[in-house]
Amino acid sequence: MKTTAVRSLRTGLTFGAVNVFLILIGFNAMIGILLAKALGAQVITSIPAVPYLAAYTGLIGLWSGLSAAWKCKGTGVACSVLAGFISGLAAGAITFLFCLGIGWLLVSRIDFRNYLTILSFDFISGVLMGFPPLSGALVNLGILAASGATGGLLNGAVHVSCGKRLGQHITAWVRTVTGKVRGFNHGKGHLAFQIGGIAILAAAVIFLPLNWGSYWNYVAGTVGLYVILGLGLNIIVGLSGQLVLGYIAFFAIGAYTMALLNSPVPHNLMWGFWPALVLGVLLAALAGLLLGLPIIRLRGDYLAIVTLGFGEIIRILLKSDVLTDFSGGPRGIQNINGPTLFGRPFNSDIQFMYLIAVAVVLAAFIYNRLQRSRTGRAWLSIREDETAARACGVNATRYKLLALALGAAFAGLAGAIYASRNQFTGPEEHSLMASINVLSLIIVGGLGNVPGTILGAFALKGLPEILREFANYRLLTFGALLVFMMLSRPDGLIPSRRPVYRTPEESKPDGNEPEGNNVS
Amino acid sequence: MNETLPISITRKGVNLLKFLRPVLGAIILLFIVYRLSQVLFVQHTYGPETWTRLIIAGLIIGSVYALIAIGYTLVYGILFMINFAHGEVMMLGAYTCFFVFEAFKNIKVGTDPVLTFSNAYPVVSIIIAFILGMSVSALTGYLLEKIAYRPLRKAPRLVPLISAIGASIFLQNAAQLLFSPQLRDVANPEILARGAGWKILINGSSVTIPYTGVFTFLLSLLLLVSLYIVVQKTKFGRAMRAVALDKKTASLMGIDVDRTISLTFLISGALAGAAGVMWGIHNSMVYYYTGFIPGIKAFTAAVLGGIGNLPGAMLGGLFLGIIESVGPAALGIDFQLKDVVAFLLLIVVLTFRPSGLLGEVLAEEKV
Repeated sequence: MKTTAVRSLRTGLTFGAVNVFLILIGFNAMIGILLAKALGAQVITSIPAVPYLAAYTGLIGLWSGLSAAWKCKGTGVACSVLAGFISGLAAGAITFLFCLGIGWLLVSRIDFRNYLTILSFDFISGVLMGFPPLSGALVNLGILAASGATGGLLNGAVHVSCGKRLGQHITAWVRTVTGKVRGFNHGKGHLAFQIGGIAILAAAVIFLPLNWGSYWNYVAGTVGLYVILGLGLNIIVGLSGQLVLGYIAFFAIGAYTMALLNSPVPHNLMWGFWPALVLGVLLAALAGLLLGLPIIRLRGDYLAIVTLGFGEIIRILLKSDVLTDFSGGPRGIQNINGPTLFGRPFNSDIQFMYLIAVAVVLAAFIYNRLQRSRTGRAWLSIREDETAARACGVNATRYKLLALALGAAFAGLAGAIYASRNQFTGPEEHSLMASINVLSLIIVGGLGNVPGTILGAFALKGLPEILREFANYRLLTFGALLVFMMLSRPDGLIPSRRPVYRTPEESKPDGNEPEGNNVS
Repeated sequence: MNETLPISITRKGVNLLKFLRPVLGAIILLFIVYRLSQVLFVQHTYGPETWTRLIIAGLIIGSVYALIAIGYTLVYGILFMINFAHGEVMMLGAYTCFFVFEAFKNIKVGTDPVLTFSNAYPVVSIIIAFILGMSVSALTGYLLEKIAYRPLRKAPRLVPLISAIGASIFLQNAAQLLFSPQLRDVANPEILARGAGWKILINGSSVTIPYTGVFTFLLSLLLLVSLYIVVQKTKFGRAMRAVALDKKTASLMGIDVDRTISLTFLISGALAGAAGVMWGIHNSMVYYYTGFIPGIKAFTAAVLGGIGNLPGAMLGGLFLGIIESVGPAALGIDFQLKDVVAFLLLIVVLTFRPSGLLGEVLAEEKV
């Protein structure tokens, strides 16, 4: 009982601190506005009406109560409610102190916006629900404590009616569903499952772009290009186990090759799309090879920082005045010509969408074949233990260079299409953040497999576009989600399965180890 | 490490590399000598006063890099992970510095309407800024480890890296949302006014040695030396080295591994915080992106010196600072390209010494 109380108190204090932080970044106002819009109310100002802010506070309290009751060791409803109440009260206490603080600012008319940018007087009185400081703080405390207790009650009620706690119930349900799907995929229905899936996907790829409108085609195209990038990086990181942080440099090489050969300024070469595409891919592969030659001895994080440096070198060179005459400098290159096929120019997003879809399918096909080939197995052996691989006669140097060159070629392909589609490329598109995005997407999706890469690309490039409502909070949420993802699913959304050697006599179904990918 | 594998030496690819590396080295050396002789003896682009200025600037920025690099190296030595959010820890220290001086600027002392607290008691206010900045950063580092890294200690190596990247993005954007994206000027006390300094005459023109710079340099040296003593001489330092060598054995010897790791993060956070406060005092530009570039550079410095190696990080930091400040002038290229020089240096050094300047060859498991 005592430990439950202490634990709930701790949960509550954490939630209180988080609540204060969320208020300080204005998250409560955004949630309030979303609620108001959802209920059909008119929102004119940036600060929603008091009831919605109260609803936000209630939600936080509810969550804190739920999570405290969740951890509660005791079984009774009373215990659950008590845990929720304690947690809500603790969260309320912190919020109470905070409210007193900002209330004092309001009363003594100190404009604090220069330091904490959100604290305008209107906002403060909104947080205090329009009351004077002390009673406003008390109202916050009351709402949090009451909703905390409600959360506890809810958890207890579900627990009593279902026999299990809410969370366990949900996870158990999810597990059965995924188990069923997986079983279907492996059983007799395997082929039908695959054909059906591919048919649905193909239909979606063919018909969706026509009916989407250009914005969604643009988003989907970006996702597709990131799938290609992800597959390329997967060859390097996922298959051959070399951590490369400056991957976007190869993308930049592809993009700039396309731009320089197909734009009126600065060189007016106008080679056309297809030769430039091929040359971009080749040049990117060559760059991968040239980067790889001196540094192939490096392992792990040394390799990571060197490639990071390489990426930065490329970006800074492109950005500096030194190369302005050659590559446009900081302003980049505009008016890049699009491709033509059988004399017809590509000019709409739909056509580009199809081009990207073809490129994605091609990349996925090559990736899949490589993974299952002798080369793929050699990469795998290098990834697991380079010394042992060398001892077994695998030419590690050659295979590692091959992985770098192939991965870079994928990036070159994506870069060339990207530049041609956007009709623009500039140095800031190729910053370190872009490399990190690609790395994040393959790890979030699941290192080393195609479906994981596609899912990761959707999650990391598609979701932010969909979540436009969050505008300012997009990157914040992205960072928090990245941490959360790694904590909850370190192997990614779709973990790779290790290839298992099965002898015909031993017909054990599925001997895959729980430990997924071990890149070391 | 390849030398221990006789099988690989006979391979064609490795032979090619063995041939390539000295050739590459010779070309680089020739290029550097050529450019140096051009700049120094033929063109006479810069006089000695410019060189002095550049070296002073390099030493100052290098000492800040060294302080941050120590944090990377300490954490890497124990957990073998890149603490990508370390630059953001430093950024929070710089923000704390800004807020402390801002607060003291607004406190009036006595009856004099112009005399502010930070000018009346400059030493006290600087000390308070350092204490607060270091504590905020240390706390951030501690919480980071506890929330984002500790549950991942047994996960594959890329996972904590991504978690750290996520934490870095989160902290950056949290700072932007909390404190607004604008660039802040730190209000130094008058004794450390920016731009003021000792003037010396070289070659007819005066070179300023800024007070803030000397302060930064000396204080970081002090911190580095005291850290080195802590790690080498104290019981905690011994525990830290033991955990870095082998966690399991260390725990069998009665060392609390979790506590040691937490303390390591506290210390590295505190050093980054000190670096942040110095950054605020010397450079003044404080905004949410402040920590990113110094973070990357300091990581480069740590790798340059041999990651996991304390003297290596200090040396790497100073070396990188001087090279990136003097390098562009010495090679006669544009100052915009100083980062290119820094990263090229890294690539060249690692090509010939794959584990950094002072790095020992790490055991297979660690790499």
